[in-house]
Amino acid sequence: MLRAGELLRSVLAIAAFAVTYLIISALITNSYYQLMMTLVLVWALLGTSWNVLSGYSGLVSFGHASFFGLGAYTATLLLIHFDVTFWIGIPAAMVVGALAGAVIGWPTFRLHGVYFALAMLAYPLAFLYVFEWLGYQEVSIPLKRQDAIWHMQFTDQRAYGAIALVLLSAAMLVSAVIERSRFGMSLLAIKQNELAAEAAGIDTWRWKMRAIMVSGAIGGAAGALYAQILLVVTPAAVFGMLTSAQALIVTLFGGPATLWGPLIGASILIPVAEILHGELGHIIPGIQGVTFGSAVILVIALAPEGLYWKLRDRLLAGGRRPPPPAAALGSPAAATAEVAAAPPVRPIAFGPAILEVEGLSRHFGGLQALSDASLTARQGMILGIIGPNGAGKTTLFNVLNGFMPPTQGRMRFKGRDLLGLRPNQVCRLGVGRTFQVVRAFARMSVLDNVVVGAFVGAGTDAEAVALARAALGRVGMADQAELIAGGLTTKQLRLMELARALAPKPELILMDEPLAGLGHDEVEDLLAVVQRLRTDGTTIVIIEHTMHAMVRLADRIVVLDHGRVIAEGTPAEVTRLPNVIEAYLGKKWMNRAAD
Amino acid sequence: MPTRRRLLQGAATAALSIALTLTLSPEAARAQANDILLTLIAPLSGGWARQGDLMKKGADLAVEDINAAGGVKLPGGNAKIRLIVADAGDTAEKAKNAAQRVLADNPNLTGGTGAWLSSFTLAITEVTERADVPWLTLSFADTITGRGFKNVFQTSATAGAMAGMTLDMVLELAKSATGETPKKSGFLADNTAAPTGFLKPLRDELLKAKGIEVVVDEIFTPPLADATPPVQRVRSTRPDMLFVYPTATPDVKAVLEKLKEFNLDRGRLPLIGNGAQFGTPEILNLVGKDLLEGFMFTIANWGVKGQEELINRFKQKTGEPWMTQDSISTYADMLVFKMAIEKAGSADKMKVAQALREIDTTDGVAKLYAGGRLKFDDKGRRVGASLYTIQWQGGEPKAVFPPTAAQAQPIWPKR
Repeated sequence: MLRAGELLRSVLAIAAFAVTYLIISALITNSYYQLMMTLVLVWALLGTSWNVLSGYSGLVSFGHASFFGLGAYTATLLLIHFDVTFWIGIPAAMVVGALAGAVIGWPTFRLHGVYFALAMLAYPLAFLYVFEWLGYQEVSIPLKRQDAIWHMQFTDQRAYGAIALVLLSAAMLVSAVIERSRFGMSLLAIKQNELAAEAAGIDTWRWKMRAIMVSGAIGGAAGALYAQILLVVTPAAVFGMLTSAQALIVTLFGGPATLWGPLIGASILIPVAEILHGELGHIIPGIQGVTFGSAVILVIALAPEGLYWKLRDRLLAGGRRPPPPAAALGSPAAATAEVAAAPPVRPIAFGPAILEVEGLSRHFGGLQALSDASLTARQGMILGIIGPNGAGKTTLFNVLNGFMPPTQGRMRFKGRDLLGLRPNQVCRLGVGRTFQVVRAFARMSVLDNVVVGAFVGAGTDAEAVALARAALGRVGMADQAELIAGGLTTKQLRLMELARALAPKPELILMDEPLAGLGHDEVEDLLAVVQRLRTDGTTIVIIEHTMHAMVRLADRIVVLDHGRVIAEGTPAEVTRLPNVIEAYLGKKWMNRAAD
Repeated sequence: MPTRRRLLQGAATAALSIALTLTLSPEAARAQANDILLTLIAPLSGGWARQGDLMKKGADLAVEDINAAGGVKLPGGNAKIRLIVADAGDTAEKAKNAAQRVLADNPNLTGGTGAWLSSFTLAITEVTERADVPWLTLSFADTITGRGFKNVFQTSATAGAMAGMTLDMVLELAKSATGETPKKSGFLADNTAAPTGFLKPLRDELLKAKGIEVVVDEIFTPPLADATPPVQRVRSTRPDMLFVYPTATPDVKAVLEKLKEFNLDRGRLPLIGNGAQFGTPEILNLVGKDLLEGFMFTIANWGVKGQEELINRFKQKTGEPWMTQDSISTYADMLVFKMAIEKAGSADKMKVAQALREIDTTDGVAKLYAGGRLKFDDKGRRVGASLYTIQWQGGEPKAVFPPTAAQAQPIWPKR
């Protein structure tokens, strides 16, 4: 667990909620309000199911009715055909839900963004027809007068509320554990930038599969419980669009990717919609749909991140604020200054070749982005790669760390072939990467941002935290670990991203334009950090088009143009080559070379 | 930051409690103490709202009639009926919620009727049965009275029985009109609950038993994108009659239009449907009287011969062009409750339920149900429940069978 203390507080809060619920429930004798209280929990449960997948990973599912419906039918059909009690039926529904998650996730995770969302929409619609075709248009759960309790049939409706409470508490507990472990951190990383997450060594596909299976299990439980409460299962009721929408809306309203979001959303929307429907339904038909629609619009307008964050931010504004990022800048500046003071050490002899690239090509249709490029980085070296826009620099990195396969050519890291490896596998071998555009996880602290990258090198979550702290120390951000990433400066973001790449202690780091967008002094600070990394023994391949910085930093430079390597050598050699000067460095350099 | 977190969780709990307190405000009691409370739970919003509207019109008229005539006679003096109308909405969940709400708000409820769609009725009666509230319903799924419930009374023939009755009626009509019975039949229906339940016994046994072959069996999932392929197959297989059973009006229209296009309408191929959707005023507007001409359907109840006074009054009062099953059934249900309450001598729900179980009459209100007998068997199914055959003639759906109820002579198409 990353933060056992926080988890404990969540557990206590869930327990406090459960006790409060039970007290209120004990005081209520009106059967209708009891039913409402139970339904709130059922929809919060489905919302939690949705949240585990879509809230944390950002892969929006429009089709959670699949799990809900399969759960409902599993438990119901087990009872009808095999006389299996719901006490077993609900766990069975969870198993079916998890399996359905795996079967649905397997093909669907090939899709991203809106295509994923739309594909998810198709499953419940398909199930709806399948169950109609199977002849399960209206399945009624038989009334068991004998062994009623054995069949989960109670005269006091509050019993269903209690069962729902147990299931929801368990689901929230699972959700809390996920949120505070590498599971949730990995999902959050996927949400922010799936490619960056892959590059940070996160096996995104595996985490997504796990998430959809856990989500499916919770959704299955919600469906089974719903069937037991409604006592009638129809395909339209459990696989219908409204079911999927309800899961999504209660969570979006309450706050996606938060533990309490689904419960907050359900606690408000379900009773309000029901009251409006009950009081006005025969006067204004469809008022429930209007309520949900308005809720969504209101949330988008007023609290785009959900009610939870709105409340939290509102409460924070009146209470304690996190230290503003600007105030914290004093001390780290000193740290980097110290780093900068260290004189650049340029070793004469390097270790054995750590990265060998031979004849690497990559084209996109007719465009030759990379053409027969060869280069070698030796251990302890800073290898600079320069070239104008479109020269193929970033493509080279993308091929090296597995985002895209080369059209042809070979690449080896420490003698091991990188061909065909996925980004997270490349990362596992010890190749880190930073990006031209920093992708920070804005709501997370600097430490958490770095921890995401540390998982790959850590057996336990605690170890990951230790690695992350060490990496932050290496870039001089040790005392900024608790800042929220959203408030960082560009330089801090770059250092943080560097720390993320450094956390699992890679032997080779691919840095894509780390100096872009930095002011003069900031460039100096960053150069000092990079140099110190090299002194620590890390090999660095760096893309840059700020020539003067590169000349000071790199041991050797490779010049790319139109995907081809046109020059290679020490900075002094390269800057003297006429073709390089003329084509890429301009007149100023030409004159200087002539001096 | 423990304090912040605690604050947040406090806020969440507070939001929940506010939401809960909002739901707790008790509904003000409006009724007079000795009113008899009956409820109609029907879809008043969503896709089935029109049916609910027709049900409400029937029930309202009945309550008005009863109260105008002095109310219900009880040993302690006459009491008026107050009808509580609740919206079953468009999902089983809303229907169940509505039932729970009506029951919770009205502990003295005597009984109720509703809620058109079988799955709604199933959900509602799960609530009313547990509260011992007697429930009358026109919904005809077999499951409604197949669960061993004691307080649910089905006034219509069950779906399973309807198929057989429809076939018998159709064959009798065919025989009297043409002198021979059809040899080949076909199905063109959607795959929702009602058609599936209706066609299954026909397909599995009933037609075979009569020596009739099913030559075309076209089942689709609504909405029907294009009626050409199924109608083409109907045309090429040449059945002597076709059971047409889409549940959605647009699909009915698409099928009838296509049949006309293929010259299978107006008598060239007898078309038989089942259910209320074929007899609504809306279908006349949407589909038009020409396409509907000659179309037959069987139905659990209808305003038929002998009820002219009621039908006219209903038409005048509501502006509806005729009285469909939905209106006449809820009208009759209110009268049945009146009869049961008077028989029990009390508006107590359990006594009224007992009275309903004991009633056996062919007089008065019994005539407002097809079959003309008011007696429920131990499952709660009405003994002798039968059907009417309605046929579109000149832009009006008229009862044509059985002869005692017929408002017009049936037209059996002859080739």
